[in-house]
Amino acid sequence: MSISETIQSVGFLTDIRESALVYPIIMSTHLACIAVFGGMILMTDLRLLGIAMTDRKVTEVVNQFRTWKRVGFCIMVTMGALLASSEAVKYSTNPFFWAKMSFLMLVAVHAIIFRPRVYNNTAELDRAPALPGTAKLAGALSLIIWLGVLSMGRLIGYYEGPGSPGKPQATLTQPVKVGQLTR
Amino acid sequence: MFLALAYDPSNYPLNNNEWSFPLVEIIHIAGFALSIGTIVIVDMGLLGWGKRGSAAQLLRETAPWTLAGLVVMLLSGPLIFLSDPNMYLHNQSFRFKMTALLLAILYNYTVHRKVALSGASPGINKVVGVVSLALWVSVVAAGLFIAFV
Repeated sequence: MSISETIQSVGFLTDIRESALVYPIIMSTHLACIAVFGGMILMTDLRLLGIAMTDRKVTEVVNQFRTWKRVGFCIMVTMGALLASSEAVKYSTNPFFWAKMSFLMLVAVHAIIFRPRVYNNTAELDRAPALPGTAKLAGALSLIIWLGVLSMGRLIGYYEGPGSPGKPQATLTQPVKVGQLTR
Repeated sequence: MFLALAYDPSNYPLNNNEWSFPLVEIIHIAGFALSIGTIVIVDMGLLGWGKRGSAAQLLRETAPWTLAGLVVMLLSGPLIFLSDPNMYLHNQSFRFKMTALLLAILYNYTVHRKVALSGASPGINKVVGVVSLALWVSVVAAGLFIAFV
């Protein structure tokens, strides 16, 4: 058995995959996290770019959202891991899944580079006469990377596996909707 | 209730270009991240969870972004709807979503706004924040369930 088959054959992951209700509930929670916590990432980025919440110090904005962004990230990753591992066979051959994982790696690289210089260094940023370029770069890159994560996440659902008759590889297709009109 | 539209979506651009439909969906999701995400920031203020800043200040700071996100959401949503109107109109989850969305928008610009700006007792603030969170999470969850019911 391949690694992906072994993963998704774990009892509770099989239950998730086969449940008509649990799978979409976990997916809804994953999606709701974008709505609930995405705004905090956006507002932090826009403050670092100097275009939102500019009446406040960078320190205040970063601290205001930091804890909640972390809580959101944990819920989101937990739900995402459940979704991916319960469908490990499908996900492991889905290029958009790996593209999303790559963007998530970039989130980590972004943190390694900019945490000491920006997010843990806000007092200095606030003392500077103008917002330093490093802060703006951190905000802009964060926006781009998270938009990449979101886009690739959505595209996972459109990938039709390799070997479909008459279909080129890595093609996109509409997700099956119940009651959909025949086109 | 039976609804049917004399409209043939087979020539609709979103159904005839493999990248356009997911692209509009991505824009829709980014739009609600901005609109709902900023409303939730105000909810956090109402619940007293933020470290600093009253709900009133948070509302004033985020309101333009909320509106921008709502505009994106309300422009991209109908584009998705037009890909298959009859399916959506008969979808229970879609109907629930539209009801919740209408309530959520009305609530946001009436009760939510009024309480966030003028303040009420901590208890009332909390109730107003929780109702707002519940309404918006329902909208998102119902949107996802359209594909599953």
